[in-house]
Amino acid sequence: MSGAASAESEPAETARALRRLFLTLFLRGRTSRGLRRSSAPRSIGVKLFWTLAVYTFVGCSAFAFWERSLFVLSASLHAMTFLFLGMFVAASGGEVLFNEQEAEILLHRPVAPRSLLWAKIRVLVEVSLWLAAALNLGAFIAGVAMPAGSWLFLISHAVSVTLEALFCTGCVVVVYQLCLRWFGRERLNGLMTAAQVLVAISLTLGGQVVPQLIARYGGKFELSTDSWWVSFLPPLWFASLDDAVAGGGSLGSWALAGLGVLATAGLLALAFGRLARDYEQGLQSLSEAQPAPRHGRARRRWFDLLVQHPPLSWWLRDSVVRASFLLTAAYLVRDRELKLRVYPGLAPILAMPILVLLRGSREHGAGFAVAFSGAFLGLVPSLALGTVRYSQHWQASDVFRAAPLVGPAQLCHGARRAVMVVFTVPVLCVFLALVLLANAAVADLMLLLPGLLLLPLQSLYPCLTGEAVPLSMPSEEAKAAARGYKMVGVMLVSFLVCALGLWARSGGWFWWLVAGEVVVVAVLYVLLRAVAARVRWPSME
Amino acid sequence: MISVQKLSKRFGAQTAVNELSFEVPAGQIVGFLGPNGAGKSTTLKMLTGMLEPSSGTANICGFDLRRQPIEVKRHVGFVPESGAVFESLTGLEYLEMIAALYGIPKQVAEPRIRQFIAFFDLAFDTLTEKLLGAYSKGMRRKVVITAGLLHNPPVVFFDEPLDGLDANAAVGFKALIQTLAREGKTILYSSHILDVVERVCDRVIIIDKGRLLLDGAPDALVAENGAGTLERLFTELTGGAELEQRAAEFAKTFLP
Repeated sequence: MSGAASAESEPAETARALRRLFLTLFLRGRTSRGLRRSSAPRSIGVKLFWTLAVYTFVGCSAFAFWERSLFVLSASLHAMTFLFLGMFVAASGGEVLFNEQEAEILLHRPVAPRSLLWAKIRVLVEVSLWLAAALNLGAFIAGVAMPAGSWLFLISHAVSVTLEALFCTGCVVVVYQLCLRWFGRERLNGLMTAAQVLVAISLTLGGQVVPQLIARYGGKFELSTDSWWVSFLPPLWFASLDDAVAGGGSLGSWALAGLGVLATAGLLALAFGRLARDYEQGLQSLSEAQPAPRHGRARRRWFDLLVQHPPLSWWLRDSVVRASFLLTAAYLVRDRELKLRVYPGLAPILAMPILVLLRGSREHGAGFAVAFSGAFLGLVPSLALGTVRYSQHWQASDVFRAAPLVGPAQLCHGARRAVMVVFTVPVLCVFLALVLLANAAVADLMLLLPGLLLLPLQSLYPCLTGEAVPLSMPSEEAKAAARGYKMVGVMLVSFLVCALGLWARSGGWFWWLVAGEVVVVAVLYVLLRAVAARVRWPSME
Repeated sequence: MISVQKLSKRFGAQTAVNELSFEVPAGQIVGFLGPNGAGKSTTLKMLTGMLEPSSGTANICGFDLRRQPIEVKRHVGFVPESGAVFESLTGLEYLEMIAALYGIPKQVAEPRIRQFIAFFDLAFDTLTEKLLGAYSKGMRRKVVITAGLLHNPPVVFFDEPLDGLDANAAVGFKALIQTLAREGKTILYSSHILDVVERVCDRVIIIDKGRLLLDGAPDALVAENGAGTLERLFTELTGGAELEQRAAEFAKTFLP
């Protein structure tokens, strides 16, 4: 089949057309339903511009290594590049490489699957290089101008960053293809979702927590190409290339650089050579009906049991609220697209209290850290509700409008309760464990109370505008929407209340504050629920 | 049962539905026809309370669409053309959710769901085990039809309901809606498959550019206009008469 239309016999126009197609799809998304034609390209351009601007800003941290060696500068930048590119390629790889609708559109065209694979890899590498270039802009300047710098760094760093982008992409392609070969198509989605979520959470947590750990335990180990452990860290292979060409040029640097080049070449040969044959088979099997996940039923039973027994059965007496709860909970544990947006999005919220607990117990006392953690808890429902409203299956939410519901209030309540049960309770348990691990006194735990008491209000807030209707907006709009300022408002309120808690404890009137907060929250809760109940369906136009 | 009075919908400067008026008595199956972009789906969305009319109103089962939209929704079933479902739910979970939205208790909903499953030859295991994303187009369509009829509405709107159904299921479905109509349900049936409309419907309404063009029994309309078939009448009314000639000329461009 592939012999008839081999990659070699295809004209260059085909390759260009495929590249243009996948680049457009990647930037614009697979479905732009719901986006206005006039605003879609602009929002993509603006989003890309700000992404590159943020990457450039983050990359300016290179100047912090002004007085250090070229290897240390390069190692830190390559580590950061590896983190960001790894996250990007891991998150985008599945959608780009194995799209379910693609088989029906492209597999009957006179294009070899290998050409499709090449075009996709090219797009992934191309976008990775844009990001890498933005992230390393500061490094290029610092590497030339710093005392230990050299103009050769411009060339070596460009080569090493390109190699690193190829390495990241190759890793992801190989992992996908191995999963396909070893576990089959039916388990690929589940495996890759779990892997992507874990990678994204680990990278986000690691990226924020590890520098703090290094700062805390700094000076106990030294970064050098002579250390045995550096050969296990891929970013340091590429940093060694910079050191070999533009820095010290020790034998160890050349050896590590050689290891990086060989590993990249090997990965690419594996991805595009041996395993590429499986790609066609993988693409074909995508269009076949996929078996149900084996765990689907067990999870359903677990949810059913939960909602049938107290306390949830008391809390979910209304049938519409219960239906919305079950729908939202099912998507939060099953839907690949939603999981990839929700869980990594929560990682920074989890990371911040960890950082504060790491520092707080030493610098400000555990009380501050505990109160700060409580403030972050308030962000969990708002963030999750803001994400849950977007889905690829948003058109199915027409049933909500066709159903005899006065407005979206009951659906919003179901979604916010699902978010509270599936997210907030587990996050609270993690916080409590962290607080105890940070050697906080049990008495300090009461400082979580001001933040906890705010949770009902914080989760109700998105319902006031009917924005918490689950799965009702196209997921493409999630990329274009500017929702940050609302989160800032939620954060400010949380921090203000938690700061009050700290002040009240030092002033000896903490329990008076808690009592007052209970009364205010109860009154506001009743009022806000009444406001939410009056919300009507916004116009479909 | 359905009384539409000067119903209009404007999107900015564009008028999708223009002062549409018609009446449908109980127990009638009415074919709702029109070329692409004629305003059929917009009309159905307004009649199901999903889209607010710009002007005019409708009365369904004695309830005013503008003043009592919730009562209208309670008495109306809708099978949309898109066939969109929440693909990360199983079929049973989806139908139970729909039942809950209409306030149907679980003990009432489950036997009703089983009746539909039996009618559509769906395996109960499939409904409980497979996520909707893994269903074939036909199976998904059966679930969507079930979802539209689950609350036993007196008025049902179908938008291209046969799309994706196999021949046997389509035959069964046509028999089902005829039986439902005999038992007093009112059905508005929007489709592009004109021979099915001709066979199933007691009456057809043809609209174009948001305006009513013709309204009457298919046989009578065909005879009155001397068109021979409903398809011929439809193409003549909606400007498709010259299509055959254009198609023949276009096909010649492929000849060697």
